[in-house]
Amino acid sequence: MLIDRGYTEVRPLAGGLDAWVDAGYPVEELAE
Amino acid sequence: MHRLIAAILRHGVPLVFANVFLEQIGIPIPAIPTLVIAGALARDGQLSSTYVLASAVIASVIADWIWFLLGRRYGHRILSTLCRISLSPDSCVRETESYFERWGMKSLLFAKFIPGFSTVAPPLAGAMKVSTFQFLIFDAIGSFVWAGAAVAAGRAFHHAIGKLLKRLEDLGWWAVVFIASLIALVILFKWWQRLRFYKKLRIARVSVEDLKGMIDRGESPIVLDVRTRASLRRDMRRIPTAIVASSAEEVASQLEHIPPANPIILYCT
Repeated sequence: MLIDRGYTEVRPLAGGLDAWVDAGYPVEELAE
Repeated sequence: MHRLIAAILRHGVPLVFANVFLEQIGIPIPAIPTLVIAGALARDGQLSSTYVLASAVIASVIADWIWFLLGRRYGHRILSTLCRISLSPDSCVRETESYFERWGMKSLLFAKFIPGFSTVAPPLAGAMKVSTFQFLIFDAIGSFVWAGAAVAAGRAFHHAIGKLLKRLEDLGWWAVVFIASLIALVILFKWWQRLRFYKKLRIARVSVEDLKGMIDRGESPIVLDVRTRASLRRDMRRIPTAIVASSAEEVASQLEHIPPANPIILYCT
């Protein structure tokens, strides 16, 4: 879908949010 | 192939049970050929359809229940691990959750007909803390429909299956080579598709360390949190500055004013 819209510099984050949290980096709480 | 038929005739129901259990627990030994052949043999009166079906359903429910309990114990991490070893890890968790979001427990009724979803659905149900009773009911019905369809296909096409088996039997080891090559080709095709997709996007995945560095340097990439609503409800945290976009419409709306040359980093769980 992103490609169809012309975005070519699209990169998935390896390990996703779990890897970010496991690395001890800060997170924000989402509002309800 | 002859050995498979001989083994089905000799061990019958226990073999069906073992094959279905191993497949559902995640070992790539397809149970459908065994069920179809068992169905064809049942039509010829050499096996009991009822016992074949009962053993398949029981084996399937036991294996799924184990995954369900693992999902309940370890949450969505077990799902991420399962998806990481699949051929489409980036879409696996998200697609599975999308099915569940759309269909709820009813998705267990057709889960077994969708490659990959079959093994991932039970731990997801466990991670979502659905009731064990409800899970077992839906899973048993889904297993019955899946195994029943294979056995019914075997019964319906027993003549054609008999001829096909005879031909494969005549080919001897060449039949094994042919089937193994076919499976290898499918796996290679999936890998090629994946490599081509990555190449097209010019991506090597970005590591969390790289992303942190980019944010610290003020490069401010567009970070998209594309987790499903269910996933967001489970974990109400996000990477700072990430834009939450749980559906295609939300992604489109959030990117409306972002130029296509802008780097985008997206993440799920």
